[in-house]
Order: sequence, then structure tokens, then C-alpha cells
Amino acid sequence: MIKVNKKDNIITICGHANSADYGKDIVCASVSSVVYTTVNALERYSSSVIDFEDKDIMTITILKEDEIVKLLIDNMIDLLKSLEEDYPKNINVKEN
Amino acid sequence: MFIKLNIQRFAHVKAQGSTKNNRDSAGRRLGAKLSDGEKCNAGSIIYRQRGTKIYPGTNVGMGKDHTLFAKVSGIVKYERLGRDKKKVSVYEK
Repeated sequence: MIKVNKKDNIITICGHANSADYGKDIVCASVSSVVYTTVNALERYSSSVIDFEDKDIMTITILKEDEIVKLLIDNMIDLLKSLEEDYPKNINVKEN
Repeated sequence: MFIKLNIQRFAHVKAQGSTKNNRDSAGRRLGAKLSDGEKCNAGSIIYRQRGTKIYPGTNVGMGKDHTLFAKVSGIVKYERLGRDKKKVSVYEK
């Protein structure tokens, strides 16, 4: 199960969707696409608004939150939550 | 900075090869059935093998699957055959 955790200005994403074998995992593909799209959009907007780390755990640290950053992050979280509704066994999103 | 999209970033990487290969047939229980110095009856199997790891010696026959068997009752003896080969014989008591 992919675990998405947003706490204050830090978003962590870890785990595996396990909805299918590697290469055919559609939940994983969706989550990856949503996250990478958001991160690349933020990097294009400004290279100093987030810090992105992609190790075992993927960590997005919001350095400067303005209206656009908030819009993109909220959009990502909402999309991941909508995925969670359809695939509750494969992804879990927490926001506090 | 542009981060390349890896759409299987959160997919579980299973060791692909291992899932396709792990088949094996049951062991054929080859090898010695009677050891050196043991008594045997005529017809009893002495050694099961693939090819001639061990050759038939005195009073020992070989089946078409290279199984060695005693032709007479007696004592089993493993001996050398030439420089680097072995044979098994049965000597009557």
C-alpha cells in the first residue's frame, strides 16, 4: 500500500501499490504521474519553493508557500485522495 | 531542475526470473544400494547410476539403464579398474 502523509509543510510518500506486477501496476502509474507532474510544475514555477528527495521514501518539503504552490499541492492531494476512493487497498492519504 | 517521470516508481519490483524457473523433478535415488562387504542374493541391485560411473565386475550384470545387479549370492566388493575407474564384483562365500 502506498502511504501519503502530509504534515504541516512536509509530504512523504512511501510503499508499493501492489495492485499488479511491476510494469502493469496502474495505481502506481497514476500516483507516480500525479506526483511527478506536480513536482515538475513546482520546479518550473520556481526552483526554490520545494525541496524534493526521492529515496526509499519520497519527500516533498514546501519551502515557500504562496498561492500557486498551495494550489498545485492541494490539487495533488485531492487527486491522490480521489485515487484512494477507487483503490482503498492500494493507497492511503493522510493530512494533518 | 526536471525530474523524469517513472510511472512504476511505487510498483513492487519482484525478482522476475525466479518466478519462472523454480521447477525440478523428484530425486532418482541413485547411488549404492549395497556397500562393500555386504551380503547379497542373486538378482539384488547393487548400484543405480546414469552411465557407467562404476563398471560391472565378477558375477555382476548391468541392465539397460546401467543398473548393476548380482548374478550370484555372495559378498559385495568394490575394486579399482585400471587407473581411474571402479568396478563392483560379488564373490561367493
